[in-house]
Amino acid sequence: MIQLIILPILQIVVIAGLSPLIKGFINNIEARFQCRKGSSLFQPYYNLAKLFRKDAVISETASWIFIATPYVTFVSILIIALLVPVLSSTVPANFTGDVILVIYLFALGRFFLALSSLDTGSAFGGMGGSREMTISSMAEPAMMLSVFNVAIINGSTNLSNITQAMLSYKLLSPSLFLSLAALAIVIIAEAGRIPVDNPFTHLELTMIHEGMILEFSGRYLALIEWASCMKLLILLTILVNTFLPWGIASGLTFPGLIVSFFLYIVKIGFFAFLIAIVESSFAKVRLFRIPNLLGTSFVLAVLAIITHYIVS
Amino acid sequence: MIEHLFVLSITLFALGALFALCFYKWQMLGNYLSFILAAIASCVNIAIAISVLFNHTAERFNFLLYHAIITYSFLIDSLSAIFILAISVISLIASVYSLGYTKLYVNKRDMRFFGFHFNLFLLAMILVVTANNALVFMIVWELMTIVSFFLVIFEYENPFHRKAGFVYLFMSYICAVFISVAFFIMFSYVKTWTFDFDSFRYAGDIMPAISKNIVFFLVLIGFGIKAGIFPLHLWLPLAHPAAPSNVSMVMSGVMIKTAIYGFIRFYFEFLTPSPPWWGIIILIIGASSAILGILYALLEKDIKTLLAYSSVENIGIILIGIGLSMIFKSYNLMALSSLAMIAGLYHVLNHAVFKSLLFGCAGNIYYSTHTKNIEQLGGLIKRLQVTAPLFLVAVLSISAIPPLNGFVSEWLIFQSLLNGFTIPSVIVKVLTAICGATVALTGALVATCFVKAFGISFLAMPRSEYAQHAREVPVIMYVSMGLLAGLCIFMGLFPVKIMTTINHVNTELLGVNIAHTITSYDWLQTKTLQTNFSEISLKSVTVFGLMFFAITVGAITLINPGFTKKIYKTWTCGISPEPRFGYTATAFSKPFRIIFSNLYRPRREIETTYTVPKYFVKSIVYIAEITPIFEKYFYAPLSRYVLSISNKVRWIHTGSVHIYLVYIFITLIISMLVIGW
Repeated sequence: MIQLIILPILQIVVIAGLSPLIKGFINNIEARFQCRKGSSLFQPYYNLAKLFRKDAVISETASWIFIATPYVTFVSILIIALLVPVLSSTVPANFTGDVILVIYLFALGRFFLALSSLDTGSAFGGMGGSREMTISSMAEPAMMLSVFNVAIINGSTNLSNITQAMLSYKLLSPSLFLSLAALAIVIIAEAGRIPVDNPFTHLELTMIHEGMILEFSGRYLALIEWASCMKLLILLTILVNTFLPWGIASGLTFPGLIVSFFLYIVKIGFFAFLIAIVESSFAKVRLFRIPNLLGTSFVLAVLAIITHYIVS
Repeated sequence: MIEHLFVLSITLFALGALFALCFYKWQMLGNYLSFILAAIASCVNIAIAISVLFNHTAERFNFLLYHAIITYSFLIDSLSAIFILAISVISLIASVYSLGYTKLYVNKRDMRFFGFHFNLFLLAMILVVTANNALVFMIVWELMTIVSFFLVIFEYENPFHRKAGFVYLFMSYICAVFISVAFFIMFSYVKTWTFDFDSFRYAGDIMPAISKNIVFFLVLIGFGIKAGIFPLHLWLPLAHPAAPSNVSMVMSGVMIKTAIYGFIRFYFEFLTPSPPWWGIIILIIGASSAILGILYALLEKDIKTLLAYSSVENIGIILIGIGLSMIFKSYNLMALSSLAMIAGLYHVLNHAVFKSLLFGCAGNIYYSTHTKNIEQLGGLIKRLQVTAPLFLVAVLSISAIPPLNGFVSEWLIFQSLLNGFTIPSVIVKVLTAICGATVALTGALVATCFVKAFGISFLAMPRSEYAQHAREVPVIMYVSMGLLAGLCIFMGLFPVKIMTTINHVNTELLGVNIAHTITSYDWLQTKTLQTNFSEISLKSVTVFGLMFFAITVGAITLINPGFTKKIYKTWTCGISPEPRFGYTATAFSKPFRIIFSNLYRPRREIETTYTVPKYFVKSIVYIAEITPIFEKYFYAPLSRYVLSISNKVRWIHTGSVHIYLVYIFITLIISMLVIGW
């Protein structure tokens, strides 16, 4: 019984607590690639703390949607954190939903962000909102197909069941590799990283996610920033614990959790490092080239499904 | 008992229709009476539906009219009951809504026929889903078409509305021809020589494969026109915007579902067993309707046309569920067939609820601003303070955002599609997966489309005088819409209740009961919705969400207790903000216009006129439009062809009565000869 209460809290603490660190880590690595010393690993924490203490400026055009958005985004991400296996393959809140719910909870946050981008009546916001919705629409089919493939292989769409099944999955299936590749592209698009979106830009012609949140300030901005850090970490966690679940604890065994935690850090760190490499070595793609990139991901996912049916 | 209630509801509808006609001087009074009677009749019908659904007894009754050639036989089984339930709930709310909405027309036009047609329309829909005789079915089906035609052309002085009405009527007649031919073919095989549905049931066993296939396609086209599948959707985006909002609410919410009812009756009762490729065709048509419908909705600026295209999309989703159910059934996977059918029927109910809510809110917008063009709106959230959250609930649930009802049916569709891996054929397996991707893409596009619909019309600054001076609508209008919004939330949070109800239908229709497999209890002893792949509980999602919300608010208040908000102008690069700075609907959907330019074939003309020195622009004319492919490359050649044929046979019609008498005489002789043979 005790693990049913401790594990969910642990999941949320790990996701919420580690996510700014991952962001700091990626920023730092990228700075080093650019031969800069880079900011501290903990800079995102300082930024969040600063923003939480500040007052906010709100547009007079904005309505209650604008105030509600940060909370909706943040809470939807927290619910997702509850559904994703992080340190242990046992997820007590498993009954609440599966990966399809996770995808649609991301959609909930995005929906409200896009609405609030229109709410202030500035041109930049709408531009960001329109582009974000475009990219996510293009990403959705590839994402769903990869999820379908993994779900069919493991006989479940529940993330914790998938992790458990993958732990005992001995076959090195080519279809899983294809799904992994497809999902990796989708994750880059969903998290808004280069080559799809540049998280550092504030140039009106290039910004997508930043364009949507341009008008937020103070605690509202902090919530949204934190939520987007958590979104990246959750997407990486799903990737890691679906395709490389080895070493994850099952249940609430104490030494197991410690091992699992360190392995988790290493795996996530590895993928964060990969993101930093990709971001340093590619330029941002033109907006209307993004469908091609995501189309590639879609084709990979289709191939994954076909491979699975042919191999099995 | 049920029979008495049924007669009562027919009487109430008929009385309501007559009352509307009776009052010339106090037309509004007549209309109010007829709406109230329609509402009461709908309540009676809800009672009938619930009683049939929960007592598991099919009710049949025959009305023998004096010297009747046909027996007016009706049957309410659980399939009818679930459709009666959907129709009556929406009718009830539409009638209440009309009490407010028709104030728009007070002293502006003759309202007597409105209430008359409205009541007959609601009655006809109920009769369509209960008719148990092919002739009765065709009569009430035509009644439904004709009265809805009159409702579509209610504002007949507008030429666009007349055109819409004409297209609707024309296509409905084609639809009726196809369905009646299908009935006649089946009639020629059943040996009882009656048009009773009871003799059609399991006619599939005695019919040869070829005529079954012909009937399949006839029914597909016939009901497909009414349902509005691509490319037979032509009338929908014309007729829905033309009709008054309270009518389009009923038309889009439930009338097009009578076609789905027709599909299920034919494909699951009359023409069984069906080969797998039937289901595959339905699945492919469903998927393409879904994706094409929403792609066209995305570019619309007229809010009601947008909603009409979105209906095409939703019919597609429903057909995916039904097509899958057919495929599973033909492979004899009955439990999965039942799951897919539940998904499809759940979406029927969901779409009825949220689409009526959307049309109602569009009506509210029209009522207060007198425009349907969302480019002219903006800033309504501060003016229509009650309509805005209702519309938000509707757009969230149509975009399948949890925890609202749209998500439940979307999730069920995904679960059914996932189960496609049990089908032996590899091609079908891959096809179901691709359909899954299509549904995902559709879902994301729906979200974009409705972000646009809500964001452009309700947020930012008002872009016109109408929007600037918009005022909230009468209480009765948003209260009735509030009921629908409540239903959206209820059907999202408590899906198991609805699913077990639909399961009653499947028990009768497919002969399989999956009630015990769709629910399970988690360790907190709450009921969750379960399939063989997964389980979800949107109740728990909501509870967790509220918990996290409380914690978040508490925590950030503790961090900074002296938090203040400063209200200031939006930053617009130093200029004072104006409405035209905000993003427009055209701009919002621009990326899609470029990405899908192969489909849309956008045409753009920019004409700049200069003052005498060539540097000063006097005016810029900008025309952008998309090519309606189906209209241009399918319907236009077709109508040219039909017209040229009619031109060629025109010489028969001389206009002389004598010649016509000769025609009648010749026809008579020929038919006597044929019969005498």
